[in-house]
Amino acid sequence: MKLLSSYIKEMKIAARGFYFYVELGIAIIMLLILLFAIAENPDSKSKEYLFNDLPDAMTDAFVEEDIEEGVARWADDAELTLKPIAFEITNEETGELASYNYDEEKIVTARVLEKVNTQTGALTGTTYILDNEEDMIRLSYAEQAIGATTSLDDTGRLRYKYYLQGYETDRMVDLLYVLHNEDPDVFAASFDSQQVRTLDTFGTLNSRQGLVPLFVAFAGSLMGFFIVMAYIFLDKDEGVIKAFAVTPSSVWKYLLSKTMVIMTTVVVSSSIITIPVMGGQPNYLLFYLFVITTTFAFATLGLLVASFSKSLTQAFGALFVLAIMLMLPAFSYFIPSFDPVWLRFFPTYPVLQGYKEILVVGGNVGYVLMYSGVFLVGGTLLFLLANIKFKKTLTV
Amino acid sequence: MLKKILRIFIRDIKSTKREQIALYIVFAPILLAVAITLFAPGLNDTTVNLALLKSDEPAHIEYMQQFAKVELYDDLEALETRVNKRDDVVAIAPKGDGYEIVLQGNENEIVQTYSTMLNSLYEIGATPEDTSATIMSFGKTVPPLKTMLVNMLVSLTVMLAGMLIALSIVTEKAENTINALNVTPLSQTGFVIGKSMTGGLVSLVSIVIALFITGYSGVNWLMVILVGVTSMLLSLIIGFVQGLASSDVIEAATNVKMIFLPIAGSIVGYELLSDKWQWTMYWSPFYWAYKANDMILSKTADWPTVLLCTGMVLVLTLAVFFIARPKIRKGLS
Repeated sequence: MKLLSSYIKEMKIAARGFYFYVELGIAIIMLLILLFAIAENPDSKSKEYLFNDLPDAMTDAFVEEDIEEGVARWADDAELTLKPIAFEITNEETGELASYNYDEEKIVTARVLEKVNTQTGALTGTTYILDNEEDMIRLSYAEQAIGATTSLDDTGRLRYKYYLQGYETDRMVDLLYVLHNEDPDVFAASFDSQQVRTLDTFGTLNSRQGLVPLFVAFAGSLMGFFIVMAYIFLDKDEGVIKAFAVTPSSVWKYLLSKTMVIMTTVVVSSSIITIPVMGGQPNYLLFYLFVITTTFAFATLGLLVASFSKSLTQAFGALFVLAIMLMLPAFSYFIPSFDPVWLRFFPTYPVLQGYKEILVVGGNVGYVLMYSGVFLVGGTLLFLLANIKFKKTLTV
Repeated sequence: MLKKILRIFIRDIKSTKREQIALYIVFAPILLAVAITLFAPGLNDTTVNLALLKSDEPAHIEYMQQFAKVELYDDLEALETRVNKRDDVVAIAPKGDGYEIVLQGNENEIVQTYSTMLNSLYEIGATPEDTSATIMSFGKTVPPLKTMLVNMLVSLTVMLAGMLIALSIVTEKAENTINALNVTPLSQTGFVIGKSMTGGLVSLVSIVIALFITGYSGVNWLMVILVGVTSMLLSLIIGFVQGLASSDVIEAATNVKMIFLPIAGSIVGYELLSDKWQWTMYWSPFYWAYKANDMILSKTADWPTVLLCTGMVLVLTLAVFFIARPKIRKGLS
């Protein structure tokens, strides 16, 4: 009963304060960003520069095939500015080095071919076809994009010269070599005959939906980590702690009521972000269970870190460094092929993956339940430790 | 006047040292710089991850290892379990006379194309030798992903400068030192400059150390300092406004999120928006600063473009300053 009345009192105070509304305001801004600034299937910024030293009919034949298949389309010609620049190029086979130095700015016109995702209609890349090889090389260097020259040798065989930046892996370079080892028709026939089976055990999130776990995890769950200790120090500065010391309530009830205020705020803000974007797709029972357990765990972690500090500014530095480190698993979330084992030990890793499992159709419920349990148990242990520490420090 | 400003600066350094926050703010970018240096090689080596059977043809396994990261499993069930995990791993398993490519269904299109292409090349017996391709290299060693991360780190450090000011002002208010300063001969402008020096200097030092750690010591330092100082001016003004507008520490802590939003938004806009939509970010000075830093770090910057970006940051900063000036004056009174 005391806990409940303490929680209600804290909620009333929070509702009168600035933080509660800023939190909701930021959730609304994030929602607006998701709805209006992030496309469901955004266009790719990927570029490549080509020079075809081939008869026009041959160039057109290559392109027409892609256009007929619907994977490419012509766009308006583009005017490109070539800035003064100097660089060197090494032939990887012979080691021959060539220097280029351009003092003048130059404007050139390029034909533009856009590559399209047949399912979503979004751009997957843009190819600029230039009339001059040197212009193509300048652009490839300046724009840090792949460049290529296609020509015919004396025997009438197609030759490809790729201009790479230099940081590409050996695997990538080997792939370019091997791609042009066999007759393109033989390769295309083999490619088309490959048997592909999809397990279809896991749905997908579009670009907009894919950002929801990130926003909810970092702006919601992880924020409790910051804010709970701000509440504690604010109470300390304003003498609330002194007043609290003469009441019959215990320290743990005070700490838990503060944590519950954070959990309530995060439940509201994460709902603002998630419901309009995801609609009825996720299992909301599971979603709120995960929001509550993860927020509880991070808020109690914040309590424990704060218990070692005398003031907010002192605690803030440590919390900030910790918060930045906790954001590292976002790299793995966005680049699934980058998933080192050590990154999985960061608590935010299962938080991000857990939200993803909840939002996606056919997500792994067992994973979410298991980590909800882990965060609940971990949060409880941290809470007990913070309680012991605060019993000694939260005094008159 | 200069002497008084310097006193404010030294006093600030002492007090922030006592609170250790300046140390954390210097330490955070350095820690991240070390993390980026450790991360970057792994981030760049992201072609495709394949899962194959241990019982597969050794020639097939060896072939795939030339072009992809390969993991080996005992049976088909183990392969499918691996594919079903959260990361992008594609299985290629023997089936009949050939192979079957097993996908989870949520992979990036390029992962599917890449794995199918590799198996096709194996089946037709293609090797890197006797190729009709020639590779020319510009000799760059730093991948753009690393440049992006370091640029984000610079933006974060600029944000930290604002944060340091905001927290410092809130502490000054709590300790009533601002009122006390009003009865000293020090002008409001002197106080603002003195306080800004701490945040600015701490952050600039962090940026310089972070760039050295991440291997960007060969950049044009004049350009880095120019863009760093101009973008920091804005961060400091925002820090002042937020510090003065915050009645307590919880408001200041919440305001940190507010500084974070335009910075994060500018980075996302610059990196994700296609060229035809980049204009939608022109309102943000952080966008111009990020763009300038991107060119400086990738060593493609020229002075006219850097000056244009810096000019835009300055113009937008001045606009923010004139809007915020009455608030700053009122807050300091």
